Amino acid sequence: METKKIRLENIDKKVPFKVPENYFSQFNESLMANLPVKETPKVRKITIWEKSKPWVYMAAMFLGLFFTIQLLVKNSNTPQTASNTFQTEQDYWGDVKISEDDFFDYVETQFVDENYYDLVYNQVYLNSL
Amino acid sequence: METKYNEEEILKQLHNPETQREGFAHVVEEYSQRLYWQIRKMVYSHEDANDILQDVFIKAWLNIGNFRGDAKLSTWLYKIAINESITFINRSKAKRNLSIDDEDSFLINQLEGDEYFDGDEAQVLLQKAVVSLPEKQRLVFQMKYFDEMKYDDISEILGTSVGALKASYHHAVKKVENFLKQSN
Repeated sequence: METKKIRLENIDKKVPFKVPENYFSQFNESLMANLPVKETPKVRKITIWEKSKPWVYMAAMFLGLFFTIQLLVKNSNTPQTASNTFQTEQDYWGDVKISEDDFFDYVETQFVDENYYDLVYNQVYLNSL
Repeated sequence: METKYNEEEILKQLHNPETQREGFAHVVEEYSQRLYWQIRKMVYSHEDANDILQDVFIKAWLNIGNFRGDAKLSTWLYKIAINESITFINRSKAKRNLSIDDEDSFLINQLEGDEYFDGDEAQVLLQKAVVSLPEKQRLVFQMKYFDEMKYDDISEILGTSVGALKASYHHAVKKVENFLKQSN
């Protein structure tokens, strides 16, 4: 006698398993009844200072940066040499703070120098000849 | 009157601590059968499938806050169910001192005596053929052959490209047919 050959296309696709009666409705009910209670994490109140802290720090950083740049720019614009300090001769002399008496005292002191005195004397003398 | 399942609405409920439990009840109602059959096809025994299904929902409940809705909720739940089933099979193998690479035929040793098995001789043979397949091919075969799922959906759940899934399914069908031929 020839036995019937089992081929994939002839096998019923239905899953050959069954479950107890009312299994799914009981499962759903029992699962929901035994579902663990979840603790809601307590939300810590955040103060206004904590909220604004990053912005304050950032503003302070930008202010610091602004003033540093201002300082650097100002320094780079400041003239570095004496020749640049005074644009005209008048400016130069206008800045000299010396009285007339002090000036002549200074000249006199210079004349005390012997060689210089002789030089001036000889010049005056020779010119008068 | 029974309300229609609306995933968008359910997700809103799930992300609100006040309505989370109620939303989850809808999820359980919607998915418990589908997930059960997926698990049952992998582990065969009703008792084991029942335990795993409970674990799946408990895990989903405890981690629902991490679900951001990037994928479908069903995909996320299927992934948990498949992972839990594979973990169960590997644990069962370890208990029997079997290697992870060994066949999973021990799962259906008791199949014919199982009071919740409802198949004929051909179906027992088909299940023996299926359980002899490598894990990935078995999953693809079960999802495609029995559940007639779309390749795109299987791809999302298993994280494998559609091309690779088609190749896996093709190999699985060939192996099952050969198994049946040899048994004849």
